[in-house]
Amino acid sequence: MLRMLLRRMFLGATTVVIVSMIIFAGVEMLPGDACTAFLEREAQGKLLENCREAQGLNRPAVERYIDWASSAVRGDLGISANGQKSIAELVGDRLANSLLLAACSLALGVPLAIFLGVVTGLWRDRPVDLILSTLTIFAMTIPEFVSATVLILVFSVWLGWLPGIVLTSASAPAAEFFPEIMLPVLVLTMVMTAHILRMVRSSVIEVMAGDYIQMATLKGVPYWRIVFRHALPNALLPAINVVALTIAWLLGGVVVIEVVFNYPGLGRMMIDAISDRDLPVVQAIALIVATVYVCVNLSADILTMIANPRLRTLHMRRG
Amino acid sequence: MKKLITMVSAAALVAGLASAEPSGTFRQAHELGFGAQSSLDPISKGRVFQITEKIMSRLVRPGLDGKPEADLATSWEANEDATVWTFKLRHGITFHDGSTFEAADVVYSLNRVLDPESDSPARSAVKMITEVKALDDMTVQITLDTPFADMPLQLMDYRLRMLNEGSGDTIATTGNGTGPFKVETFDAEGTTVLVANPDYWEGAPGVARMEVIGIADGQARLQALLGGQIDMERGITAQQQVMLKGSDKFYVQVIPTGNWRGLVFRTDVEPFNDIRVRQAVRMVADREELVALVLGGEGIVACDAPVEPNDQYRADLSCPQDIEKAKALLAEAGYPDGIDIDVHVATLEPTWPTLAVAYQEQAAAAGIRVNVVQAPTDGYWSEVWMKKDVTATRWNERPADQAFHEIYLSNAKWNESYYKDEKFDAMLAEARRELDFEKRKAIYVAAQEHLLETSGTLIPYTVTRLVGVSSRVSNLDEVKNDAVRWHKITVD
Repeated sequence: MLRMLLRRMFLGATTVVIVSMIIFAGVEMLPGDACTAFLEREAQGKLLENCREAQGLNRPAVERYIDWASSAVRGDLGISANGQKSIAELVGDRLANSLLLAACSLALGVPLAIFLGVVTGLWRDRPVDLILSTLTIFAMTIPEFVSATVLILVFSVWLGWLPGIVLTSASAPAAEFFPEIMLPVLVLTMVMTAHILRMVRSSVIEVMAGDYIQMATLKGVPYWRIVFRHALPNALLPAINVVALTIAWLLGGVVVIEVVFNYPGLGRMMIDAISDRDLPVVQAIALIVATVYVCVNLSADILTMIANPRLRTLHMRRG
Repeated sequence: MKKLITMVSAAALVAGLASAEPSGTFRQAHELGFGAQSSLDPISKGRVFQITEKIMSRLVRPGLDGKPEADLATSWEANEDATVWTFKLRHGITFHDGSTFEAADVVYSLNRVLDPESDSPARSAVKMITEVKALDDMTVQITLDTPFADMPLQLMDYRLRMLNEGSGDTIATTGNGTGPFKVETFDAEGTTVLVANPDYWEGAPGVARMEVIGIADGQARLQALLGGQIDMERGITAQQQVMLKGSDKFYVQVIPTGNWRGLVFRTDVEPFNDIRVRQAVRMVADREELVALVLGGEGIVACDAPVEPNDQYRADLSCPQDIEKAKALLAEAGYPDGIDIDVHVATLEPTWPTLAVAYQEQAAAAGIRVNVVQAPTDGYWSEVWMKKDVTATRWNERPADQAFHEIYLSNAKWNESYYKDEKFDAMLAEARRELDFEKRKAIYVAAQEHLLETSGTLIPYTVTRLVGVSSRVSNLDEVKNDAVRWHKITVD
C-alpha cells in the first residue's frame, strides 16, 4: 500500500514537471512576447528594447525556464512580468476565489446529484426517472455559456433578483462575493449534477440487480433496509472518482463560466496571462492546476481503496 | 442691518449649496486593456483613461462643438509665425492633495511627456515642442521647432493631463490631479472608487461617487448594464443596441467618432507602387454597402482621409464605387486580367474579417481576386501589420494634422502604407505655418483630396459609437468621451 502510494506520488510529480515544460514551450512558440502584447503597435525601437530588457526577455528560453524552475522548487513563484507584483499573492487570491466557487458548487451539487441519482436509479423508467433523466441530458449538452447567458437574462435582466456579473475585486473577503456568486454556482451545479447523477443512477441500477440484493429480498429484508445497508454503500463507490474529477475541473477548467460572469478565479487569470504573455503567471497557474489534478485523483483512488478492501490486494499493481 | 444681510446671504448660500450637494453613485466599466499593468499615469501605456479623464484636467479641452475650450489655461496666443505660444493659466486651482496649480506644474507635466527616456506614446502628439518655460507663476511659454497654427488642438489630447510638479514617481497609484473627482481607492482589476472633489473649479460635481469597474469581456459589460450593475457602457454594438432600445430602463446615445478601420496597401511594393493600381483597389469599394454590412449602418462614409466627420478641416469628398474605371486603370497599369491579393486580417478587431469578406465580393467585379488570410491576433501588430503587403488597420481618432503627421508623412513613425509624397509633405508644412483659419482649411482640404488621389490606404468609414445609458442618469453630454463634462452628470 505504502509502496504504491510513493510510486503514485512520484509519477504525479513527473506529470507536473512535464506539464510545466509543455506549457512553457507552448507559450514560447506563440507569436509575440510579453512586450509586444503590452505595447501593441508601439512595439518598436527604444520602447520595445527597454521593455524586453526590464523583463529579461533577451535571454534564451531554456535559460529562463531553468531559472524559473529552480526558484519554483524552492517555493518562489517569482514576480508577475506585467504588474510587478508577487505571483504567490496574485495567484493566492484567485485560487481562494476558485476554491470558494468550487466549494459552493460542490456543497450544493454533490448531495443533490447523489440524492437524485438514487431516486432515478430506484424508480427506474418511472415518470420521475424519465423527467429527471431528460433534464440531465439538457443540462449536460447545453454549453455552459448558453445556460449562463439564459440564467443571467432571466434572473438578472428580467426578474432582477440576482446580480448578473461579479464585480467584487479579486482580493475581497469571501463573504463579499454573495449574492453575486449565486448565478455562477447555479450554472456549475447544473452541469456537475447532471454528470454525477447519471453515474450514480447507473451504478444504483447495477447494484440493485446484483445477486446479493436478490438474496436479501428473498430473505425478507425490508426494502429500505436493503437500499441503505446493502445497495448504497456499493453504489456510491464509483461516484467518488467522478466527484474528484469534478473538483479538479472546478478549480482549473471553468474558464468559460469565469469569463461570462467576470468571476476573478484561476481560469480567467490564466486566459488573461496567456494573452499578456505573462509567462511566470501562466506557469504558476499551470503548476497549481496540474498539482490539483494529480492530488485529487490520488486521493480519490486512496478513498476508493479504503472503501473497497478488495482493491487493496487485488489491483495493487495497477496504480 | 449689515449683520442681518450677511446672515441672510450666508443662509441663502448654504441653501444653494445644499441643493447642489453631490449625491448618488455613477458606475461604469473599463476594458481592463492592460491588466495588471494598468496605471493612473495619464501618459503611460497602461493608463486607464476612464479614470484619468475624471480626475485630471488638461490646459485646453475639446468643447461640445469639438473646438478648443479653456480648461486650466484661460487664454492663449501665438507670435506672428506661430512658433511661440503663450498660455495664461487659471487662478485658484488646487490639486487633490491641496497644493496649488502653477506654471511650474505645466512645465513639469509637458517636459515629462517630452522626455525621450520615458518614450511615452503621447509624445508624438506634442513632439514639435522644443521648450516649455514659466514666464511667471501664471504664464507659460511654449516654443516649437516648426510653425504650428493649431497648437491648442494638440494640447487637447486626452493624455496631456496636468500633474503636480515632481509627482511623476507616485502618480501611477495616487492619481493626484485637478479634476472633478478624487481617487479614493484604485483597483484596476476590481472597482476603482472616485469621490466628488468639492473644490473643482467649475463647481462641485453632481454625483458624490463614481465607480469604475474592470470588466474585460464585452458581453459581460453589456450584461452588467442590462442587469443594472453599471449605468453606462460606451461600446455597444449595432446588434446589441436592440436589447436596450426596447426598454424604458435605458437610452442609447449615437455619437459619430473619427475612429477608422481600413485596409492598407503598401505603396512600396508591386503592384501597389503603381498609383493607378492603388486608385483601382480603393475605387472598387462600395462604402455605403460596407457601412451597412460591417457596421449595421452605424458608421459614416469616409473617402480614404483619416479626418473625423465633425472635424473643422474635414473635406467634403465623394468616392462612389466605379468598377469600370477600376478595370480600365488596372489594364492601363499592365494588369488587364486583374490582380490577386492576400488581405491579412485578425479577430483582434472583430469587424476586420467581415470587412475583408465584403470587400472581397465588391473587388471581384473588377477582377481583383482577394484572398482573405486570417492571421493570429497574437503578434498581429509586430508580425503582420506593416510587414505584409495588404493588412487591415484600425486607429482611434486624432486631430487631422496629427493623423497626417503620424501615419502619412514620409518619415512618419507609423507610416503603415510606406506612403512617400513630397507634395503632400509640403502641404502639411505649409498648413502648420498658415495662421489664417480659412486659408489653413483650404490647404488641409487639398491634402485630403490629394490622399484620395494617391494614397494606399482604403478608409471606407469612420465608426459611430453607441453609448448605452441607464435612465437613472441625466445630463450626460452626448459627445465623445473626450469632451464629456463628467461633473455635470446626476443620478436618481
